[in-house]
Amino acid sequence: MVEVLEGYLRDEGFGVVCAHDGPGAVEAFREHLPDIVVLDLNLPGFPGTEVLRQIRALRDVPIIMLTARVNEVDRVVGLELGADDYVGKPFSPREVVARVKSVLRRGERAEAPPPVGERRVGGLMIDPSSHDVRLEGKSVTLTPTQFRILEVLSANVGQTLTREQLLQRVSADGDVYDRTLDRHIANLRARIEPDPANPRYVLTVFGVGYKMVDPT
Amino acid sequence: MTSNVFHDIRNNLAVAISSIEAFREGILEPSPARLGVVLHALNEIDVLLRKIPREVPASGAPANDLAEH
Repeated sequence: MVEVLEGYLRDEGFGVVCAHDGPGAVEAFREHLPDIVVLDLNLPGFPGTEVLRQIRALRDVPIIMLTARVNEVDRVVGLELGADDYVGKPFSPREVVARVKSVLRRGERAEAPPPVGERRVGGLMIDPSSHDVRLEGKSVTLTPTQFRILEVLSANVGQTLTREQLLQRVSADGDVYDRTLDRHIANLRARIEPDPANPRYVLTVFGVGYKMVDPT
Repeated sequence: MTSNVFHDIRNNLAVAISSIEAFREGILEPSPARLGVVLHALNEIDVLLRKIPREVPASGAPANDLAEH
């Protein structure tokens, strides 16, 4: 099994270090500090969960588990222990390769520094560094508070932010109050929405808050 | 007794399936040693299947003692 996965991963251009039991896995990890670990829970030596724990204690690294125990408890326990993904046995080796790639991609995204450059949502272009906002290429003038709201919403496209979250992030010095938030949103819509009465960018999530969506 | 049988069957199936796939796709050469590993896994499955009680309810109420672990 180790040989098969090693073959597939090498075929994809990955450098691979193999271990055949629990203690060997922890030792190999310590020595090579890999970018990702594919861990079979069915190991001689000591349980795969113990390997998981020891590796996690050494370094925060993505771990994909291979397990023949497919019931829910094991899945939850595995993920609770800090595994990033799992593949149930029997599997196609290609499936494991696909998970490795996907977990590595996810990691790259999470580690990417917060965008400092311009940000695009549909026809809107927002530049946090220059406070420049353009709608379909045309410059839009916003008050500092409106810009701050747009900045926070556009950093969380598709995600509903509660009124509390928005207020907290928008108003550093408590100058935006609950009552005035709706007013600021209305004014923001008047400037960035093609039809402010039927908003396409900044949507109200009734009883919760607001979210920004990409209308395209 | 049967609690780990399915678990062991899946582990052996994983060895057999992924090895054969690797042979078919040219990732590994099907050397006699590697074919021996596949054969061993299949024989293990045969042994494990014999441990399962013969009368398994066809459908409906699952036999709890066969539940996966």
